[in-house]
Order: sequence, then structure tokens, then C-alpha cells
Amino acid sequence: MILLEIKNRIIEETLLNKFEVAQAGGKPDGIDIKVADFDGVLYHVSNPDQNKLKLMVSVSLKFYKELEEHGADELLQREYGSYLTTPESNYSVTLLIDLENVPTNKEEVAAKVALLKRNCFASVFERYFKYQENEVTSKKRAIINYREDETMYVSASKDRVTVIFSTVFKDNDDVIIGKVFMQEFKEGRKASHTSPQVLFSHREPPRELQGSDARTGDNIGYITFVLEPRHTNAGARDNTINLIHTFRDYLHYHIKCSKAYIHSRMRFRTSEFLKILNRAHPEDPNQKDKKKTTVTGRTFVQQ
Amino acid sequence: MAATLRPYLNAVRSTLTAAMCLENFSSQVVERHNKPEVEVRSSKELLLTPVSVSRNEREKVLIEGSINSLRISIAIKQADEIEKILCHKFTRFMMLRADNFFILRRKPVEGYDISFLITNFHTEQMLKHKLVDFIIQFMEEIDKEISEMKLSVNARARIVAEEFLKRF
Amino acid sequence: MANRLPACVIDPGTGYCKLGFAGNTEPQYIIPSAIAIKESAKVGDQASRRLGKGVEDLDFFIGDEAIDKPNYACKYPIRHGIVEDWDLMERFLEQSIFKYLRAEPEDHYFLLTEPPLNTPENREYLAEIMFESFNVPGLYIAVQAVLALAASWTSRQQAERSLTGVVVDSGDGVTHVIPVAEGYVIGSCIKHIPIAGRDITYFIQQLLREREPGIPPEQSLETAKAIKERWGYICPDIAKEFTKYDTDPSKWIKKFDGVNSITKQKFSVDVAYERFLGPEIFFHPEFSNPDFTTPISETVDNVIQNCPIDVRRPLYKNIVLSGGSTMFRDFGRKLKRDVQRIVDNRLKLSEQLSGGKLKPKPIETQVITHHMQRYAVWFGGSMLASTPEFYTASHTKSDYDEIGPSICRHNPVFGAMA
Repeated sequence: MILLEIKNRIIEETLLNKFEVAQAGGKPDGIDIKVADFDGVLYHVSNPDQNKLKLMVSVSLKFYKELEEHGADELLQREYGSYLTTPESNYSVTLLIDLENVPTNKEEVAAKVALLKRNCFASVFERYFKYQENEVTSKKRAIINYREDETMYVSASKDRVTVIFSTVFKDNDDVIIGKVFMQEFKEGRKASHTSPQVLFSHREPPRELQGSDARTGDNIGYITFVLEPRHTNAGARDNTINLIHTFRDYLHYHIKCSKAYIHSRMRFRTSEFLKILNRAHPEDPNQKDKKKTTVTGRTFVQQ
Repeated sequence: MAATLRPYLNAVRSTLTAAMCLENFSSQVVERHNKPEVEVRSSKELLLTPVSVSRNEREKVLIEGSINSLRISIAIKQADEIEKILCHKFTRFMMLRADNFFILRRKPVEGYDISFLITNFHTEQMLKHKLVDFIIQFMEEIDKEISEMKLSVNARARIVAEEFLKRF
Repeated sequence: MANRLPACVIDPGTGYCKLGFAGNTEPQYIIPSAIAIKESAKVGDQASRRLGKGVEDLDFFIGDEAIDKPNYACKYPIRHGIVEDWDLMERFLEQSIFKYLRAEPEDHYFLLTEPPLNTPENREYLAEIMFESFNVPGLYIAVQAVLALAASWTSRQQAERSLTGVVVDSGDGVTHVIPVAEGYVIGSCIKHIPIAGRDITYFIQQLLREREPGIPPEQSLETAKAIKERWGYICPDIAKEFTKYDTDPSKWIKKFDGVNSITKQKFSVDVAYERFLGPEIFFHPEFSNPDFTTPISETVDNVIQNCPIDVRRPLYKNIVLSGGSTMFRDFGRKLKRDVQRIVDNRLKLSEQLSGGKLKPKPIETQVITHHMQRYAVWFGGSMLASTPEFYTASHTKSDYDEIGPSICRHNPVFGAMA
């Protein structure tokens, strides 16, 4: 698995299962689960008022307030329409699904609900992509604190949309591995002509953010994506959003995989060294009690 | 660079072979105790002058001899940040498994990356020349392994980045 | 603390791995503990073959996707509950976290389980993976049996919650009887019984084979399994149960309808004595296994008698069931009855031997059954990991960086448990 999946597997599978049970005429069991997703997102699937024929899927995003400023509500209205209901307390968005009339395209609906987090994120991108399309320079830069100490900045100008991520490396060693990765992202453009320009800076925020309250520090990195019209046009838009909103998790996932890879190499090399060291034992303990015989079956007795 | 590797390892090999002359020696301080003198340093006359063999500023070996034990500390080449953390990770990984390695010291001597402690009991149970072989082979391979790991990490990073950017 | 994301609870078993978030009553995934990797046919030993130059090590599948993947080799990194191949385990965890749970490991505490008698070195290896590769903020490694005890609290009064008890854990492969005192396993007294779910299925399959020719041979195992799960139960007395069936067959005999997967023809099977004879092999192992004849109740009694004398009474009072194969109706009731019988007989004997001078206080036995039995271990983990004490008992990353993996050798029993 190189790319991360965009849908939430648990939500999708739970819904499909519920739909199938309901369609087969079975009595649905009550449900009350809470599951997490990347970027501190929390889902809650439950039955409202103990009514087992209704299903409520809520999502909580800590930064939903910031997304709302950029039109999250309209986008969700467009995507989910009649499923939307008043949000449960402590949650940002709630969808209500009626199990008594299961939609005919149940796979599609389940997949769509599983994309809830992605669609919340999408609002801010769509808004700025539109600014760019209409050649409006955005007055304000959108600031989304998508994690506790990590922030995403989006701004649009006539010919480009700039997305800047700040990311924190919790472990000191990760900073160095992370730098190797980001260096390659910067140079990755050579391999593919359609990719956006990527810049990165370590410790200091890039020039665009100077003067803002962007944090500095040894374990902070800033990655800038410069999206051109070919990424932001209506046809490519969805794909771009899918990719860019998982970028942070993608980077951290691969840093972790690299460490796992280093671990397996070290395990291998360590066992090799051990073999070499064990050669220093005059007798292999396994061979000690074994009788050595010639081809004809005779043995030598040491005098 | 490679031209200096051979003489460097040869020098380490001969020094080690010479230092491998160990004998059983009971503690002078506590009755019926037997401790590696190179570690306890109870008396000056039991210690030999440490020998340092160095290839360059970063790569060197310190061999400290004593009557019943000897300590070899190795400083491993670390050209850049990434080699530094890989080396650190690797030596730590090995030291956590020191139980299996008999002669590996759980902590390196200060200023070095990894240390081995060989006592007379080791040399009595194991073949001395094979122990020397092990140390030499270790020094040869660890450099190679670290640079290979570094290359792999770079290669991975490149693939990962290209894979992501290709999708746009 | 209110905003903290739920902890991840992972219970890796030999056959199946249970994954989920703390606070839920059921695991979100129950997947086979299998991993499918590509192995090139080059010579050289296993480890060197696996190490590629690029990202070959990301090309693998776990769980259901791993089974029967063409061109991949399917491996099980866990054997007898203990992790054997750490390379594969690390990758298995990698995908369970990122693909299945979709959790950023830096944000969640983790609770992992281990079998009783796991080695401290294995705990260190696990800690190394979790803290160094995944940067988890906190980790707690819990013993499966202790979690099964904790899971039984749901059906009990607050005051009766204790961490002393005998866990009868029966899955598909093997059954263990594990005594636990004050949250610590009494390792020397653990006993294994070579009878578990799979043996019951085989036994039912054999019974059916003799009587019902209509079952297609390649489906007989599935049929037996379905019958076991749907209608199996434990009867108090076999002889009486036989007469019950004979006098009123229509009430007891069930009909199983199946479809031949190849010809698509329907077939039906009468299910009769199999319903109670199958699970009965726990109590009469000689039915199916001529080499092993100790009933489960006797094993439980033996285990308790081997334990230190001061914990025996509490152990009798708290016999807890866990695992899918203990789900048969009345399993607990019969186990309790039989154990009680053995205990009472022993007391009577000692009274007799003392010539009536000794009047021992009767020993109370109790077998706890509850709804969460099937995933008892996971559920216990989920419950404990959602308490605030869990966060104080876990080993944190800063402790790990300071001291090293040795901190994970010991995982203290924590507050909510005591």
C-alpha cells in the first residue's frame, strides 16, 4: 500500500452491513460506536433515541469552525442534501439515515458517507480554486489549524493557488528522515510534468508567511504546494483535493514505514553478525553430540 | 579513500591480536572476586597504555588492554545527519541485544559509538583469532550497511514522492 | 483529557486479530492474523530475500485480503499466541493502523495484548516497534487472561469486581485454564486442554457423515460449523436428553437447509443428538479423543488445587469464561455443577476422615457468563483503555526515550482493576 485510502473503511463497512441487514428484512441491532480517523477526526455512529431503524453518523472536527468560514456548509448541503440534520452536541456534522427505506444505490451512499471527512476538507479548497478560476486574488489567507500544532494555509491569486502545510516531527530522528523525504518531494517534479511545484523549508516559515504567527522551531517543517490552473480546473479538482488533503498523513506514514524497513534491515544484519561471532566458538554446540561417520558408516574415535 | 581502509584494518588486527594476551587474575582488593581490570581500574600496574588507531578524524579505534580484559571502542564513520541517526539507531539496536553478543558492552565508551569488552573467560572459551576476525568484519560491514541503508532511505523517499506527485 | 482521542486496542491472536477503538463494545475488525508478501525465488536466506532496494516491503496484504492472494506467500507471524516473526509483525501492525483503523499512531495511546507466559524480551521488541517506528505516545501491554477477567465485570456488582479468578479460555485451536491472583497470572499452574471449537466441529461432522448422506462432502465442514454455532448447547444429563429427543422429536430435532455450492441443489439435514453431543466433548473428551480423558471440570479443579492455598477460595468463586467456544448455552451452569460436585465430595471425604471432628466451611463455586464472552479479551481491553487510570498506567514515549525498552517488561495492574 503506497497511497493511503481516502474513505473511512469502518464507516463504509458498518453502513453496508446495516443496509444489507435492513434490506434482507432482518431486525437491525442497536449500534453505538466511536471511531477515529486521521487528523484528530472522530466519528460517532448511533441510533437516535434508541430507534434502531434510524442511523446517525456524526463527525467531529476540531477545526470545523474554520472550515465553516470557507463554505463547508454549502458543500455538505450539496453532497449530502437530505441526509443532513442538526448536529449532535459536541459534533460538527450529523447525517441521518433511514434504514426503513434503504437507498437503491446503497454502495454509493455508504462510500459517500465514508468520505465525510474528505468533503469537509474539500470546502476550503473548492472556495479558493474558484477564486483562482475567476481570477480574483483572495483578500485573506485561509488558516486551518487541522491538528493541534499543525496548520494549513491556503491562498489564491490570479494564476495559482498556494497551499502551505506546517508539520511537526515528534521525534528528533524523524526530522532528519523527514528532511530527506521533503527534499525528494521538491525534486519530484522532474519525474512528472503534471505535478505541482513543491517547496519546503525547515525551521523557518516560507516567505509568504513571514510576519504571521507561524511557528518556528527545530522540529517544524513547511511544505508549499503551488497549484496551477491545470490542477484547479473543474475536471482535475476532485483528484487534487483527494491527494492534497492526505499529504500530511502520507508523509508521516512513509516516514514510519521507512523506520520499519530500517528495523528489518537491522534485524537481518544483527543476526548475521551473531553468526560471525558464533564461529568463534570452537565447537558448534549442535554438532557436539552428533556422531561423524564416513561414507561407509565407520566412525573415528579420538584417542 | 578505499586505499586507506586496508592498512587501517591491518593495524587494528595486529594491535588486537597482540592485546588478546589475557590471563586469569583475581581481584587485588576483594577476596575471591574476579573482575575485568580494564573496567574497575583498581590498580595502575594492571593496565596497559591504551592504543588508538585512527584512519581519520571520525573513524578511529581505541584499544585498552589490561591483565585480564581488553576493551575495544569503535568510532564509526558518519558523514552526514542521516548516517548519524542510522548509526545511532543501529548501535543501540545491537546493544539492546547484548545478551546474545557475549562480548558487546551495553554502553559505548564516551566519544565512541560502540564498545566491546573481551575478558580472559571469553578468550578461553572462544577462538582468539576468530574473535579478531569478528571485530574486523564488523568494522568492514557496518560502514557498508549504513551507507546502504542511507541509499535505501533516499530511494524510498524518491519513489514515495514521485508516486504522490504523479497522481496530480 | 476530555478531548483525547480514544486509545487503539489490538488483540493479536494466533488465528484472528481483533482491532478497534477503546470505548466500543465490539472490535471494529476481526481479521485473520495473516500477511501475504511477495517472495522472490532467489537463493539466500529468508531475511535477505525480503529486503528489496525500493519500496517492495510495502507490497503486501493483511487479513482477509491476504488469504488466497495469487503470487503472494501467505504467512502467519503469530504462533501459539506468541509473535515469531517480528519483521512481518511490524508490517502487519503498520497496515492495521494505517489502513484499517486509520489512526495516526502519534495521536493515540495503544493497548496491546499478550498471552500468559510471554517473555519479557518479546515485550521489549514490541515496545521498540511501537515507540520507535510508530512514535506512539503511550503503550500498555496487557495479559489476555487478565483482560478476560476484567470483561466479566459487566455482569457483576461493583463490590464483587476482583482480579482473582480462573479464566477458561477456549477459542478455535486450544483451550487454556489460567489462574490469576490479584491481576497476576500464576504461570506454573496453567493447564492446556487439547479440545476446542475445531474439535467440536470435527466431531459433529463425523456424526453427520454416518447418518446424513445428503451433505456434499466438500461442504460438510461448513455445515457442521453452522450447526454447532446455531443449535449447539450443553445438556445436564445425556441419558435423559436422549429420551427427551425420542419421546418428542418434533420439538427438539431441527432442520438445516443448505445449498450445494456446485450444483446449486438444495439439501436438508436433520439435526438431532449432535446438538448436545458436540459440545459435550468438553465434559466427556473420550467421545472424540481417546488419548485425553480428563473432563474440563476436573482440569479446572486441578488447576485451583495446584495454586497457593490462600487464593483457592476466591478462585473457585470466580471462574470466568472467554472465547467463542464457551458460548454454548448452559456451558457455565454445567461447569459450575461439576466443579461444585468435586469440591463437595472432597470436603465430605475430609470430614469423614477426621471422624466428624472437622466441619469444613463449604466452598462456594461460581461460573461467570456474560454477553461479551466471544471477544472477552478485546472487550476487557477496550473497557480498561477508556478509563482515566489507563493513561497513568501506560508507559509513555518520554519514559521510553529516557530509560529504554526495558520499562515495558513490567506493566502494572492499574487502579480500576484493584
